[in-house]
Amino acid sequence: MRSFASLAATLAAALLITGPLPAHAQKVLNVGMAAADLGSLDPHRTANTPDKAIIGWMFNGLVRFKPGTMNPDQIEPDLAERWDTSADQLTWTFHLRKGVQCNNGYGELTADDVVFSLKRAADPKISSFSSDYADMTSVEAVDPSTVRLTFKNRPASVLGILTNYQGGNIVCRKAVEKLGDDFRTKAVGTGPFAIEQYTPNQSVTLVANKSYFRGAPKIDRIVYRYIPSDATRDLAYTSGEIDLIYGRQDQVWAERMKSLPHTIVDVFGPGELSDLSLNVTKKPLDDLRVRQAIAYAVNRAELVKFKGPLTAREAVSVVPHDYLGTDENAPLYPYDPAKAKQLLADAGYANGLKISIIQTALPTMLNTMQIVQAELKKVGIDMELNVVDHPTFHAQIRKDLSPMVMYSAARLPVADVYLTQFFHSRSTVGTPTAVTNFSHCSVADKDIDAARQTTDVAKQKALWKDAQDKLVKDVCAVPLYEQLQVWAHRDKLNFGYKLDASLTLGPIINEQTTLQ
Amino acid sequence: MLTYILKRLLVAIPTLLAVLTVVFFFVRIAPGDPAFIILGDQASQEALAAVRHDLGLDRPLPVQYVDFMATVLSGNLGNSLVTHRPVWQEVRNVLPYTIELTVTALIIGVALGLPLGVAAAKHRNRALDYAARIFSLIGLSFPAFVSAIMLLLAFAIQLHWFPVISEAREGDPLSRVSALVLPAVNLGLIMVAYVMRVARSSMLGVLGEDYIRTARAKGVPARVVVWRHALGNALIPVVTVVGLYLGVLIGNSVLTEIVFNRPGLGKLIVNSLNQRDYTMLQGLMVVYAFIIVIVNLLTDLTYGVVDPRVRQT
Repeated sequence: MRSFASLAATLAAALLITGPLPAHAQKVLNVGMAAADLGSLDPHRTANTPDKAIIGWMFNGLVRFKPGTMNPDQIEPDLAERWDTSADQLTWTFHLRKGVQCNNGYGELTADDVVFSLKRAADPKISSFSSDYADMTSVEAVDPSTVRLTFKNRPASVLGILTNYQGGNIVCRKAVEKLGDDFRTKAVGTGPFAIEQYTPNQSVTLVANKSYFRGAPKIDRIVYRYIPSDATRDLAYTSGEIDLIYGRQDQVWAERMKSLPHTIVDVFGPGELSDLSLNVTKKPLDDLRVRQAIAYAVNRAELVKFKGPLTAREAVSVVPHDYLGTDENAPLYPYDPAKAKQLLADAGYANGLKISIIQTALPTMLNTMQIVQAELKKVGIDMELNVVDHPTFHAQIRKDLSPMVMYSAARLPVADVYLTQFFHSRSTVGTPTAVTNFSHCSVADKDIDAARQTTDVAKQKALWKDAQDKLVKDVCAVPLYEQLQVWAHRDKLNFGYKLDASLTLGPIINEQTTLQ
Repeated sequence: MLTYILKRLLVAIPTLLAVLTVVFFFVRIAPGDPAFIILGDQASQEALAAVRHDLGLDRPLPVQYVDFMATVLSGNLGNSLVTHRPVWQEVRNVLPYTIELTVTALIIGVALGLPLGVAAAKHRNRALDYAARIFSLIGLSFPAFVSAIMLLLAFAIQLHWFPVISEAREGDPLSRVSALVLPAVNLGLIMVAYVMRVARSSMLGVLGEDYIRTARAKGVPARVVVWRHALGNALIPVVTVVGLYLGVLIGNSVLTEIVFNRPGLGKLIVNSLNQRDYTMLQGLMVVYAFIIVIVNLLTDLTYGVVDPRVRQT
């Protein structure tokens, strides 16, 4: 026991020497993210949520969503000061802001960088988002501060694909060419913050771009820490080691954080819509009555009640709420278990039926499907969930192995993108042009294509509405609910704008943001 | 002695090759596509195919296997599929953290467990013995991640003695020490429980031996009987347990590193699994296998140190 006492004494002595940690240095924003490590800082090459937020602080687009919004009608100038369009809207000319500097000493940003960047975003061999630029036939530098884009068909939202989002983020050419593979961890843009250091498995440190064209940021550094354990991240927030925390998307978490002193819980868009796609080519789902029965059996209100109304809302259509062209009053099937049973009986399944599907173990998605499972059980559908880890889930659903697929996603907030990726026959899984059409539906193809061709905004919206109505009626998918983004921050951090939505799925930190 | 060590290391080579083969195929049996994980769910088939080609994943499996073995046998663990950096470099970056964690935990385990076990045996069925046994039972039944959270709540949140995020700041050696304490104590306490139990039962056995009774009859003081005559023989099972348990310790260090958000092999392995970084996983398994082989060898050599009879054979 004597050795124990001496060890305890040594430990206590060590503590006295070490002492408590010093308080945070001024103007360093510490952020806690739910990931084990960085995926990539290359905006054209990553679609991971943990990478998106930080990329949003480092890059600009030709245009941008007003900070705190995702409304395509409120897109404003960013690297481009102004732009002109041809009468047919197939040629767009952007006039760049002069004197914008690439971060980390890569010189002034010119039309050449913009051309390089957009070509890169459109290159299927490099970019994760090339399909967004499939209609772009050329992008050229007219002079060092003018860029001209031509399209063979007008994309649903030209400005949308040129915002500071995914492929629209402008990278600096010299940096890409010089850094090669290292661009992944040392990416260079023109944003308010620039990469300073990447420590594998630990953190990314950004430093303020003092010559940012909108003014020097008021925060000196951002330390973006990778903390995969939810419990540890919460504790690190409680202890004051982080000021801005990526939250768990559930009511309990949001309520608990709300009760902490000096803490503001941020719940904002986009809502990630969970659609339950039904494969219309596979038995028994090839029978419309079975699909309708499933639609009638799902109780959206109950799902939202379970998820928590603070962080979730009911789906309004097969396209998320608030996108340009969403049918906010789509003819969704109401909850009617009696009708569901009747339809099943009509289809020859009076004694019930069994469907086996593949489901991710990701908790927020799994518990949703467990509720749906219970709801379907009530009408006689025995849905067996084969639970697998998330990468396995993604691999298997793309091999068309699951007759029903629950998928959560947010996209560029224009109906065309969601409709094309999830419901156009061109995007059907198992085909060479596959994206995420798990339902094998093609009923809305004509409307989706026609909406792209027209320059008449009202007509375009009408076509998108038709497309959604057809998909809903044909039960290509059962819309479930929308999961909002949940973060929390200390009240000494002020974003400098009202945070209603952020396409990067995290708050935008820019020159307006202050930290006391 | 040297020939013995060399012989043991030679025997380890087929073991390592077998581990490599099993790992190579096992990581590929798990569905999931590294290209998809790198590019995200909106990437075109063309982009995915290009990445798979770049990573060499579009080649037939046997070709990939031969290529992999050739790379490893040339003394190279290959490059990470995600970071493109040499696997060995990534491992080397974090290996010191895992080693310092496990070694400190081991020291805590032996330094506390051994005297506790001996004391418990000496005072068999008395208060001290019961207390030690209850403590060891608790230590054994607590999962590492639960005790980790409890330690954080007590020492980081309530007392503010240590940070929640156990990462060292560069150029600040003290921060490295303070970042090590809680994780090492967490791992060490479980080790204490193991060592204490084995030391106690082994000591009880030895204390009943004839030569101990003889020594006592000769009037040797109790302290000398216990620490000099009995402990030497009682140590053999303890050494075995410590050696065996070091493997478990490395496993538990994965959980500990995750909860304390400490850099190390554990965080690396979890991330590589999520990203389906095949080459990184293979490299990590080789490193783990190698560590286990070395630890087993060291355990055998330690037998010779603590027990002269082993040395003679």
